[in-house]
Amino acid sequence: MLVSPELAGQVLAAARAGGADFAEIYAERWKRRQLRTVDRRVKEATSGIERGAGLRLFYGLDVVYAYTNDLSATSLLALTERLCQLRGRLGRVDASGGGGLDFRPRRASGRHAPAQPFDSRDKATRLAWLHEADAGARVAPEIAQVEARLTEWEQDMLVANSEGVWAEDARVWTRLHVNAIASDAGELQTGSAAPGLTMGLELMERHPPREVGREAGLQAMTNLRAVPAPAGPMPVVIGNRFGGVIFHEALGHLLETTSVAKNASVLSGKLGQTVASPCVTYIDDGTLPHAWGSTELDDEGAPTERTVLIQDGVLKQYMVDKLGGLKTGYRPTGSGRRQNYTLAPTSRMRNTFIAPGDTPKEALFEGIDFGLYAKSMGGGQVKPGSGEYNFAVREGYLIRKGRVAEPVRGAMLLGKGPDSIRKIVAVSDDLENAPGMCGSLSGSIPVEVGQPHLLVSEIVVGGEAA
Amino acid sequence: MNEPTGSMHEASGRMTFEAAQEWLLARARDAGLAIEVLGQSNRELTLAAQNGSLEQVTEAERAGIGIRLVDGEGRAGYAYTEDLGVEALAWALAEARENAGLLEPGDARIEPGRALGHSDSVGDGLAEPLAQKLETVLGFEEDLRADPRVRQVPIARYMEREARLSLASTGGARGSYRNGAAGLLSSLVMAEGESLKQGFEIALETDFHALDPGRTARTAIAATGRLLGARPLPSGRYTAWFEPRVFAQLLSAFSGLFSGKQVLEGKSRLAGRLGQRIAGEAFTLIDDPTLPGRIGSRPFDAEGRPAAPLTLVDRGQLRAFLHNAETARALGQPNSGHAWRSYRGPLDVAPSNLYVPAGPGLQPATGVIVTDLMGLHAGANPISGDFSLQALGLELRGGELAAPVENFAVSGNFLDLLQRIVGLGDTLEWHFMGACVGAPMVEVDGLSFAGA
Repeated sequence: MLVSPELAGQVLAAARAGGADFAEIYAERWKRRQLRTVDRRVKEATSGIERGAGLRLFYGLDVVYAYTNDLSATSLLALTERLCQLRGRLGRVDASGGGGLDFRPRRASGRHAPAQPFDSRDKATRLAWLHEADAGARVAPEIAQVEARLTEWEQDMLVANSEGVWAEDARVWTRLHVNAIASDAGELQTGSAAPGLTMGLELMERHPPREVGREAGLQAMTNLRAVPAPAGPMPVVIGNRFGGVIFHEALGHLLETTSVAKNASVLSGKLGQTVASPCVTYIDDGTLPHAWGSTELDDEGAPTERTVLIQDGVLKQYMVDKLGGLKTGYRPTGSGRRQNYTLAPTSRMRNTFIAPGDTPKEALFEGIDFGLYAKSMGGGQVKPGSGEYNFAVREGYLIRKGRVAEPVRGAMLLGKGPDSIRKIVAVSDDLENAPGMCGSLSGSIPVEVGQPHLLVSEIVVGGEAA
Repeated sequence: MNEPTGSMHEASGRMTFEAAQEWLLARARDAGLAIEVLGQSNRELTLAAQNGSLEQVTEAERAGIGIRLVDGEGRAGYAYTEDLGVEALAWALAEARENAGLLEPGDARIEPGRALGHSDSVGDGLAEPLAQKLETVLGFEEDLRADPRVRQVPIARYMEREARLSLASTGGARGSYRNGAAGLLSSLVMAEGESLKQGFEIALETDFHALDPGRTARTAIAATGRLLGARPLPSGRYTAWFEPRVFAQLLSAFSGLFSGKQVLEGKSRLAGRLGQRIAGEAFTLIDDPTLPGRIGSRPFDAEGRPAAPLTLVDRGQLRAFLHNAETARALGQPNSGHAWRSYRGPLDVAPSNLYVPAGPGLQPATGVIVTDLMGLHAGANPISGDFSLQALGLELRGGELAAPVENFAVSGNFLDLLQRIVGLGDTLEWHFMGACVGAPMVEVDGLSFAGA
């Protein structure tokens, strides 16, 4: 056990005695492994243990946070005392509070437990999978380089707080990345594929490495043959899977209480209002079995849930963590997440997607005389205060007279989120999600983004072609 | 020179930092293995202010040990642990050995090393009492709210980081150093009419006393406020003036082009171009880990090689790549002493203080001053050099400010951009963006801008 109930109880009681309104201790131990090959040669083989604890105290709505690698009683109690003193110097210490704690244990049931744990296969088997991925990516002689990477994370976490929460979860993530580089006459273009799920090595059955490699190789070849993207405002069909990143950035982040509570989001205070096109229903679901962004319990010990954020264009709920709930009065939604013990949790997305509509995919393209088909998206960024977003198209095509035409590269989509979400004019029925890492205040965490193919009537496309 | 100050606590049978290092070296020697143990211990203090009160405090320590092991067949394997118990240390050593065994025989080595001393570039620079730091951040937040156009101050923070790095190898390297920095971080949302703009500002110094909250706040307000009322920029080719911070951002995003490791892995388009002209003649690029008072300065690199300055590009001509011992040997080039790794990752190369020396000065006439770039992690391809980035700026006509401009993309290729550099400003500014990067204002001819 990372921290005994007796020690956790002592720490929390000491914090309460030091005047904190709420105290929480979080402890975890990670085992991580990464194996990376470039052109079949192992370039990196790393293993590691990360272990530490974070202590969070609330004084009203003010937060004091501390973390350490040293989980001994001496260290944790000294840290608690230092935090109380720190606060004492900065604010008022109330000597009341304290007393014994009666924890109510809550353990994850194993909804996302691995069928093939990491210890069930040796490292040679893993290397063979990477070799298969490498072979799959070599779809043409122009494929000049293939990088394949297998990432395995195991996390044991424990969180206990002064309200009696005692929650334990064991989590496992596996992800296979393949990056292919295609080269011709000094031109280099890349393609990638990277499935990941909260499961063990059975990921290799769900996503056979050869097929993952092939997807990356084909994308690199498409980009090699692509011409520079055009520039200017135009209708854009955004693909499913990682296409969902645009509304993750441009909409999802604006619905986290981290932004909402400070009125730093342009969508603050708009519950019940129409904020999107009526064909948009937007959901954040932390319960999807084995999804990359799922956990049974959040990092504050609350069970995760399915949160309908926008229903038919109307804003229904925000994503709320404990502190965000105290600040806004909204009910917490099991959305408290953090990268690791070094960061305090905050409201974060889990698996966020636009629900399927009823327009056939082909019909999205039909009325477009000239536009862009953003089939596969790269990452992006948003400023929550202004809603301005941007993100890169990883695989794109022109749409000419209702048909998908030649591939284009170097395209970027940019605009303002609340504006774009109103310009979604049709949503198809082929919902699929894809994994990614989302960076924000509480660090980099696994999430899924997703949507069906959809049509936005106008987005500014940044491209190099004059 | 100071004696190293171990910051780990000795409790519940857990080893100290140094003891763990020695335990691993002894085990490795017994097994006939070459290892290099890199230990890092980091301390953090962050104070966040909101509406005149202290909203958030973070106080922390994190430390770990990373093993680089080279077996008898020249294969390198890695493992690390933050748990310094004997069981975890033994696991890490065994994993590192097993990981090495997955590689094909190679020529990795633990370089012969020497005593490197114990140095301290922080001294008492961060030692002021907490109360003074608190006063600083509260004053800073108040200054940020001073302008009536400021609608929100989502971030107003004082932060302090201190790190101790200690290196010991079976090759005989042994040394440590301590460095640190204090900084002010802000984010502002400003409004005027319908126009809304958000800005970010960071000021970082190696000494607490060098921070100037009032000036940093005024700079942040001015930098964001000047963009209010921005209008769309018509698409076209423009002469661009990149502000120092923006050019530093671009340089940081594409610094991998100068990495010997990227060259070796076929991921740099500068491979094979040593001696060639790759940039406008105005452009020189230097990495110097020996600069006094700079955040990226260090006495030796992650393989224990003493630091020295390096000219990468000299008046447009490519002169060198950043190397560690392994990449230098593989490419037959001199080791520049730029080995880098954290205890959690493998050996790489990295710049220390990377900068473009200032030039004679500029007189912007007609074109666009680029003041903000967004989307560098997605819109910049570090391998191909292609970029397409959302930008904000100021349009100039005949040297006069015509209007702030928004919602446009700057696109091109970084190597092409280097060739189009025609002039440099006369003031070098340093910025911290993961790495310590310095640049003056940079004038680039004929860039493609996509707007309305």
